[in-house]
Amino acid sequence: MRFVLRRLGFFVVTLWAAITLNFLIPRLMPGNAALSMMSRYKGHINPNAMHALEVAFGIKTHESLVHAYFTYIGNIARLHFGISLTFFPDTVTHQVLQALPWTLALVGTTTILAFILGTLIGLVAAWRRGGVLDGVLPPIFVITSAFPYFWLALLAIWLFSIKLGWFAESGGYDVTTTVAWSWAFVSDAFRHSVLPAVTILVTSIGGWILTMRNNTITVLAEDYVRMARAKGLSPWRIMWHYAGRNAILPNLTGFAMSLGFVVSGAILVEFVFNYPGVGWMFLQSVENQDYALMQALFLMITVAVLIAILAADGATAILDPRTRDRS
Amino acid sequence: MKRLMTLALVVCLAATASACGGSKSSKSGGKTAVTISNEQGTTWSCGFNPFNSDVNFLSFGTVYEELTFVNGLKSGQTTDWLASSYAWSNSNKTLTVTIRPGVKWSDGKPLTAGDVLFTFNLLKKNEGLDLNAAWSVLKDVTRNGNKITFDFKGSAVPYFYYIAAQTPIVPEHIWSTIKNPVTYKDTHPVGTGPFKMASCSPQVIKYTKNAGYWQKGKPTIETVYYPAFTSNDPANQQLASGKAQWGSQFIPNIKSYYVSKSADNHYWFPPTVNVSIFINLQDPILKDVAVRKAMAYAIDRKKVSEIGEYGYEPPSNQTGIVTPTFSSWLDPKLAHVFDYNPQKAIQTLQAAGYKKKGNLFYTPEGKPLSFRILNIGGYSDWVASVQVIQKQLAAVGIKITPENLSSTTYDADNYNGKFQLSYNGNESGGPAPYYELRQVLYSKNSAPIGKPAATNWERYENPATDRLIEQYASTADPATQHGIVRKLEQVMVNEVPVIPVTEGVDWYQYNTRDLKGWVTPDNPYAQPAAYVNPDWGVVLLNLKPKSAS
Repeated sequence: MRFVLRRLGFFVVTLWAAITLNFLIPRLMPGNAALSMMSRYKGHINPNAMHALEVAFGIKTHESLVHAYFTYIGNIARLHFGISLTFFPDTVTHQVLQALPWTLALVGTTTILAFILGTLIGLVAAWRRGGVLDGVLPPIFVITSAFPYFWLALLAIWLFSIKLGWFAESGGYDVTTTVAWSWAFVSDAFRHSVLPAVTILVTSIGGWILTMRNNTITVLAEDYVRMARAKGLSPWRIMWHYAGRNAILPNLTGFAMSLGFVVSGAILVEFVFNYPGVGWMFLQSVENQDYALMQALFLMITVAVLIAILAADGATAILDPRTRDRS
Repeated sequence: MKRLMTLALVVCLAATASACGGSKSSKSGGKTAVTISNEQGTTWSCGFNPFNSDVNFLSFGTVYEELTFVNGLKSGQTTDWLASSYAWSNSNKTLTVTIRPGVKWSDGKPLTAGDVLFTFNLLKKNEGLDLNAAWSVLKDVTRNGNKITFDFKGSAVPYFYYIAAQTPIVPEHIWSTIKNPVTYKDTHPVGTGPFKMASCSPQVIKYTKNAGYWQKGKPTIETVYYPAFTSNDPANQQLASGKAQWGSQFIPNIKSYYVSKSADNHYWFPPTVNVSIFINLQDPILKDVAVRKAMAYAIDRKKVSEIGEYGYEPPSNQTGIVTPTFSSWLDPKLAHVFDYNPQKAIQTLQAAGYKKKGNLFYTPEGKPLSFRILNIGGYSDWVASVQVIQKQLAAVGIKITPENLSSTTYDADNYNGKFQLSYNGNESGGPAPYYELRQVLYSKNSAPIGKPAATNWERYENPATDRLIEQYASTADPATQHGIVRKLEQVMVNEVPVIPVTEGVDWYQYNTRDLKGWVTPDNPYAQPAAYVNPDWGVVLLNLKPKSAS
């Protein structure tokens, strides 16, 4: 019980610190939203429009920082994130909710897949180290992980979409299809997601393989594994229950972290494939000094990572009794 | 376990393969559809408020229309649009327009002069909507039957462009019910234009033809797709593959990347405004005109254009007149005063008392001619251009150090005058060279250092020049206007407040496989970039399927 309480307390303090930093950091940046809007306009606007923009955006340069801080905390408590300047006059909540499903579907799925596949390959490679699988897969994926993402993605687009024409090269779906829960749309969206998903997978799986393989090898040298062998347990049981269960522990925290970061999107993926998602939104909010959007996204990431870590702590406690409280 | 893994891999591959074999989208839109590929760096918010600077390029021109169309490529030639005629009176202080009969809103209600009156009063009531600052010059707007009279505070000939050509007219019966028009999203815009917004998602907007459009038999295009692109490469790829027919962005190496892909792929980049070096005239060294003139001599604009801009943006001249778009305004004698001449640059500095020590010139007080120049780090062409300029200036003994900033920092520093030199093409220009010259030279567009200036970022102030600029506003006579602009060109050459280097262009690529009627150098009926409003509506109105004759 004390373990849970201590963890929760830690969670609350971290959350408060994150929220406060979230408020302060954007305000230390130079410029203001009306200025960045002017430059986005590619010149086709009357020079005196600046005033109109400031009035429209309600840019208050005279509001005190303390006052703004408490308004901000109050709004967050009510999950009221305000109006986005980037997508003016739409609300932040509406915009984020539109982009989030794409990110969750693509980055979420690939993160889980990369973890599962990477862990399995790592485990098996370590179990049969020196074998064919161990000799081929880990080196290949470690090399692909070292590729710069955009380079691999551009290569994939060139080969599979432009030369071979198998997959769509950009976007979340074909512009001429109608967005609906129909087979035509879902299959089209799936076809558009294959290249981004595969490239993410290929570049992120290597890390999981390597750590899992090394952990497993260390664990296999432990006395309790030798003991298990001596007892005559089946190799299958030893691999899963003795080696795997222990070797996965360090990876679990890493996995939780990356699950938390799923909601931050994948800027490079979205950039190269023109794929919808929150990553690009994030970048834009920073460029446009869109405090409201920026803060909502930061908050979402912070909370997601904190929750994921909390969950990982819980999972570790279940898998590994040693980490539980002595009391 | 090994078998299991292999199995999993096979399943994976099979799944991928079936996806590979999945139906390849064959509907590229048909022959009466246009897909626009214009990288805006954003996804669509699905708002269409024509007074919202962020989204008005998506509705003004197609859905909403203006009173008079003004062609920026033909020195402001006018075409009557929602107004069937206009006339100036009262020594160019009063503008009267007659509203065209028989025009209908897309919901079937007729357009009246009341809608026009309502629109301008809406701007008066809501400062946040008045993007063109119309009410900074307007005194009063009144209606008399089907006529609307605009009373100005002073002579206002150049303001015709902002009032008649840049203000979208909205329906009173809808907008009068809106509580806060500034934060109104306008998700289902009702306008008089040739197209209706049919559907919108963050990734694509679909427009369909307005069957009841007032120009009979137009438009012939049925559907317009406007996908959102957050980066250049995918947008360019859509153009090169022919999936998109109308492009409006920078394509590196356009001949091999785009033009060579199909005989139907064409491009034209008509210049509209200068990219210049803005010189902070309050800098203790740069306020000496000799230094500015030396720099103007020392820059080989042709080389900057070729190396920095792939030759897409042509070299400028010191008069500030963009050629060939506004060639008729150019004083040919002045155009060549500051042709590339490094010898003259050195002589100018020496004659003004500057001494060369080593590779650098110094002021008589011993200060080096070494300046910082602001630039936007994200604009790779500008970064390359400034590198070329840096070398050319170094050759005569002037050192410049580029500071490649993020656009927000860059903008703030420019507006507030916190720079020595700044490479800048952010002036909006207008349908005649006067607009850019006014933006650069008019003291009312300036501000003290530390306060944001509207457009006169170099802080040039001269009462004689101000008088010329104001004089232009009071005459509608082309000959007088040309005379005044020539005097302004003289100011540009004599005082070198800014150094125009290259000419910013409208980015425009088009595909003629299925469609004709595009803007061409021989027929520049509108500015051809899809991001120019309301011009893009005029372009879409003129496109025709190739089969139709």
